[in-house]
Amino acid sequence: MGTYLAKRTIFGLLTLLATSFLIFSLLRVVPGGPVDALIEEGWDDPELRAQLRHKLGLDLPFHLQYARWLGGVMRGDFGVSLVLYQGEPVGGVILERFGVTAQLALLSLAIALAVAFPAGIISALWKDKLPDHIFRVVALAGISTPNFFLGIALIVMIGVGLRRDWGVGGYVPFGEDPWGWFLRLLLPAIVLGTDHAASISRMLRTAMLEALGKEFVLTARAMGLPKRELILRDGLRNAMIPVITVIGNSAGALLDGAVITEVIFRLPGLGSLLVQGVYARDLPLVQGVVVAAVGIRVAVNLLVDLLYGILDPRIRYGGGS
Amino acid sequence: MAREVQTGEYELGAHRTLLQEFWRNFRRNKLSLAGGVIVLFYAFLAVFAPLIAPYDPIEQFDAPRGMRNPMPPLSRDEDGRLFLLGTDKFGRDILSRAIYGTRTLLEVAVGSIAVAMLIGVTMGALAGYKAGTWVDELLMRAVDIMLAFPSLVLAIALVGAFGIGKIKIGPITLSNIVKIMLVIAITYSPRFARVMRAVVLQEMAKDYVAAAKITGSSGARILIKEIFPNAIPPIVVQASLMMATTVLTTSSLSFLGLGLQPPRPSLGLMLNEARDYLFWGAWWYVVVPGGLITLAILGFNLLGDGLRDALDPRQARRRR
Repeated sequence: MGTYLAKRTIFGLLTLLATSFLIFSLLRVVPGGPVDALIEEGWDDPELRAQLRHKLGLDLPFHLQYARWLGGVMRGDFGVSLVLYQGEPVGGVILERFGVTAQLALLSLAIALAVAFPAGIISALWKDKLPDHIFRVVALAGISTPNFFLGIALIVMIGVGLRRDWGVGGYVPFGEDPWGWFLRLLLPAIVLGTDHAASISRMLRTAMLEALGKEFVLTARAMGLPKRELILRDGLRNAMIPVITVIGNSAGALLDGAVITEVIFRLPGLGSLLVQGVYARDLPLVQGVVVAAVGIRVAVNLLVDLLYGILDPRIRYGGGS
Repeated sequence: MAREVQTGEYELGAHRTLLQEFWRNFRRNKLSLAGGVIVLFYAFLAVFAPLIAPYDPIEQFDAPRGMRNPMPPLSRDEDGRLFLLGTDKFGRDILSRAIYGTRTLLEVAVGSIAVAMLIGVTMGALAGYKAGTWVDELLMRAVDIMLAFPSLVLAIALVGAFGIGKIKIGPITLSNIVKIMLVIAITYSPRFARVMRAVVLQEMAKDYVAAAKITGSSGARILIKEIFPNAIPPIVVQASLMMATTVLTTSSLSFLGLGLQPPRPSLGLMLNEARDYLFWGAWWYVVVPGGLITLAILGFNLLGDGLRDALDPRQARRRR
């Protein structure tokens, strides 16, 4: 277990290293790059340009630039935001924004699980009956509706129907106004949770029904235990591993959903930071957010691997293939 | 070859070609048929956009006295022109913009999937054929790295790298739309590479490939003549499912203002513009583009699932 964990951690760090190198090189494709973004129109002159390039270290050879950046990252220094938060360290900005994204993610996961478990269990119990068909159609609709459409539609419906402006107020910290915090995060969390709820409930249904085919369950049935009880007891246990996988996948791709949701609901999280950074061509900032996004995914995958072992002691780490 | 003698169904004497067999399997699933119909509807809209759209998608019309843009569905302007689905904030006909927007959306989606397929299939074929060598190792580690990024984050970062709007790389100028296709193709090509590599590995182990090798066929010949035909079904399934994802990514980028740029009609951009009119109750401004994007994703998802089930019935049964 210990060696396995160490191996996975090293693999995760290597992934981070490789992705950071890729993103670092990609962002240097832009001719001019950050220098263009910094120089105001009408103030363009070659000498100023050269000075700026020197100051930002852009006149160094590429590998030195990367080594310099990497050295900084090792010490927790992700560079300095050039445009958006002029002069502030990128690491601090990301950490601050990450808090909002994490709250949104946890709330949406809670909503997704609260919806997915009843839906998946009911679908499995009434397989191919009306409730199953209804949940299948709803899940399909949930997967197919883009977050940006769902979000806007919800704002319109609640605005016109309830005459409330939920979801347009931005963000308030929990400590300042707990009820306001909840109201502002509720709609975005629902939007972000829909996809997850749909895929988790379908996965739950399939896995629970699959358990029915297993030998020990067949034996139990032959001995006269009711099918319904078996679906619930053995089915749910059988479903935990695939469901954790789906949750892990959604959590790993968290920032994909957060980008759209945070922009619509004007939440100051990592996703909206990425978009603002690209608009402003704030390269150090964009770089930092992308590396953070990959980092989140690597960390989540590691966590999911650990959970497998806790849920199913038969899974042995290391050894074998 | 083995197909004719395999199962009991064939002993009834009905000899079917592969295509007929596929159609028989596909037809059985009503949902995938619906998906096929939806996709055909979009293809029709996209191809015949200039004939169907009542107005020029970027022509601006004035609202009649006492009204202002955006106008609700079934409004008319002072000259009696009818706007079936209303107008947008600049007085442009929403129906026409939606039809042309659909065309652009499919253009980008089909274009990027084609490029992604080209890159991915080549990478996967090479890796699979050279399995176990450093070529395979290099290509597959590259694929791993690409897949470590959340996909929309990668697409946005690529737009950030290339810049918004059209770009110049050395002597070549890429239009904005071609750049978006490239961005999406790069983002999704690793998935094709994985599928292709798996197929090649699987086929290489079979006897007919060994036979071709013994009879002295060259590696390239075996890949192209023997293995490629077998790779078509899984790649087609992957492409159809990826179309749904690509439609979503394309319109997400446009919605964020990082994709197609105005005044080009784009469904994602239309939704973004509609945000400013949410509290005017301008529901048509939201529902038309949003509904069209949703239906397209639904259609490609259903079609892709149906294709997968029809082309690989064994797998489909296992999933039930």
